[in-house]
Amino acid sequence: MVSARVIRNLKKEFRNSALAKIGLVLVISIILVATFAPFVATHDPTAQQLDQSQLPPVGFSETAERTSSQMVDGEIQTVTETVEIEPDPDHVFGTDSLGRDMFSRIVYGARTSLAVGVLGTLLAAAVGVPVGLLAGYHRGTVDDALMRVADVSLAFPSLVLAVALIGLWGRAAVDIPDPFVVAGLAPEMPESFVLPITVVIVVGLVNWVWFARVARGEALSLRGQEYVKASRALGASDNAIILRHVLPNAITPIIVLGTVQVAAIILLESSLSFLGFSGTTLSWGFDIAQGRDYVSSGQWWISSIPGFAIMLSVIGINLLGDWLRDALDPGIEGEGGAA
Amino acid sequence: MSFGRFVLKRSLQGLGVVWGVVTVVFALRFVTPGSPINAVAPLDASPETRQAIATELGLDQPLYIQYGQYLFKLLQGDMGFSYIRGQEVVGLVFGRLPATVELALAASIVAIALSIPLGVLSATRRNEPIDYGATLLSLGGISTPNFWLGIMLILVFAVEFNVFNTSGRGVDVGDVALSLVGSEPFFGTLLAWLAYITLPAIALGTYFMALITRLTRSGMLDELSKGYVQAARAKGLPQTLIRYKHALRNTLIPVITVLGLQLGTLIGGAVITEAVFSWPGLGTLVIESINRRDWPVLQGSLIVIGTSFVLVNVLVDTVYAYLDPQVVND
Repeated sequence: MVSARVIRNLKKEFRNSALAKIGLVLVISIILVATFAPFVATHDPTAQQLDQSQLPPVGFSETAERTSSQMVDGEIQTVTETVEIEPDPDHVFGTDSLGRDMFSRIVYGARTSLAVGVLGTLLAAAVGVPVGLLAGYHRGTVDDALMRVADVSLAFPSLVLAVALIGLWGRAAVDIPDPFVVAGLAPEMPESFVLPITVVIVVGLVNWVWFARVARGEALSLRGQEYVKASRALGASDNAIILRHVLPNAITPIIVLGTVQVAAIILLESSLSFLGFSGTTLSWGFDIAQGRDYVSSGQWWISSIPGFAIMLSVIGINLLGDWLRDALDPGIEGEGGAA
Repeated sequence: MSFGRFVLKRSLQGLGVVWGVVTVVFALRFVTPGSPINAVAPLDASPETRQAIATELGLDQPLYIQYGQYLFKLLQGDMGFSYIRGQEVVGLVFGRLPATVELALAASIVAIALSIPLGVLSATRRNEPIDYGATLLSLGGISTPNFWLGIMLILVFAVEFNVFNTSGRGVDVGDVALSLVGSEPFFGTLLAWLAYITLPAIALGTYFMALITRLTRSGMLDELSKGYVQAARAKGLPQTLIRYKHALRNTLIPVITVLGLQLGTLIGGAVITEAVFSWPGLGTLVIESINRRDWPVLQGSLIVIGTSFVLVNVLVDTVYAYLDPQVVND
């Protein structure tokens, strides 16, 4: 369990590591941005303003060839002209091809990434941890069966399996009302947040096996411990032992894995949205995909900026994961080194 | 247990996993809403037409018969016909496989060639600028979505500098080999091949480059602190010999195992890299077959992907057991 020693280690490691500090700052900023998106965003991220499309970010001006269709003498003619496009200080990160504010889209995209990352990880852990603990504790047939299922599961790349499942099941999403907007605090923002629920379920189902493997390994080594044997001799039921003794002692590596998994699932979610297998259009991966068509015509920012957002979030979470691993590892030494 | 028995046991285990892969792929169709008939039949098809299609595809048979027939045909190398393209699935899938293997190998070569020296340098010059550089680079590498990296590479090297191709696979590695003996100029063909494969290989390889750098660095640090290294130093063995012959070799064994397990990530990454660069491999085939509900092609692709994963891991374990005989008795 989280003892005073663990907290001391965390603090010590944190003081000594500049990277851990950067990680924590990044992660906290992203959580704040995602939570208070309606206040951070400057525009409704879904509002289109076609007369303000493809504006470059502040600090960059862009020469672009624009083709437009005009009626000349009753005929439609395509006219191409070279225009100098100046940024609008109202749109710091510029606008996309439909004139939507990129900054606000990045802010709202943080919600999707974080929600899918955290919920997907929780689901994967909720399935994987009990299965792994039961298998490792009881060994025998249950364990053998689990290990075979895990082997088969690992043979399919997460992305391929997720794409197959979402492609076949469809792309369902649920609308969750935004409390700030409902309360009237940010009236111009979208009323609800679209959670791509199929994506959450699929990434959870695809990644449970990592949790099962770690939980099983911990249960295997803990089942032989003296205090577990003692509880058994005193007549405690297996489930009670797992809940009271095995789980609390297995929790540290599960937390470390969970952190890394949030980062992995954020990357997976962005890949899925990029390929068009998501239920929402407010996602960093989706914006990278829509900006891709404009890379060759000079509108580099539509694809670039969301990628930096993904990179910064994943770097932050990975740094946090490294910190937790380095600080918590002494407690799990002696059961084989970390991979 | 002898080495031979270990290999046999591991191979049989692998065969069992392949059977599981096939079963999961077969079952996937039945946990999916909508009948596969919809993919083939016209929207206004009469019940009679639908029935005829079901009979033709064998979909009116009981499940266990369908499963048995599927396994039986698979053993004969028959994966059925594409619903959409009217081609044999085996031909389609194996026609696309070389492009994906070529891409994955090129990415692995880029990754390994850069990461192992970088990891070793980082560990042997700990807390020097090169260590910080390598740490930052690898942190960025494991945190960057490869499809985005691909687009950024296109933006810089293809749009701005116009030195690489951004889509397709105009020249393959076979053409390069042929030009050695044939009439085509070798260097011209090689350059043309590099123009196609360089950007996708970097986009796909960067994550692995970063991952292996991290693994090599921490593994080397671990090994260099061990007793045998100190003993070798005390004996007066040269640093390079200790580092490269002893420590690096012991570091690489676990690295290889992790890489075997990461093969799935490599294939998954290839799927999306192929989508960015319109690379005509298995990944683009998977996406197309999902979008068009072309069941037999999706099933065939998934089976080939799953089986390759199992095959490579059996090979990795065999090499591992050969290098480290203790594993055999584990």
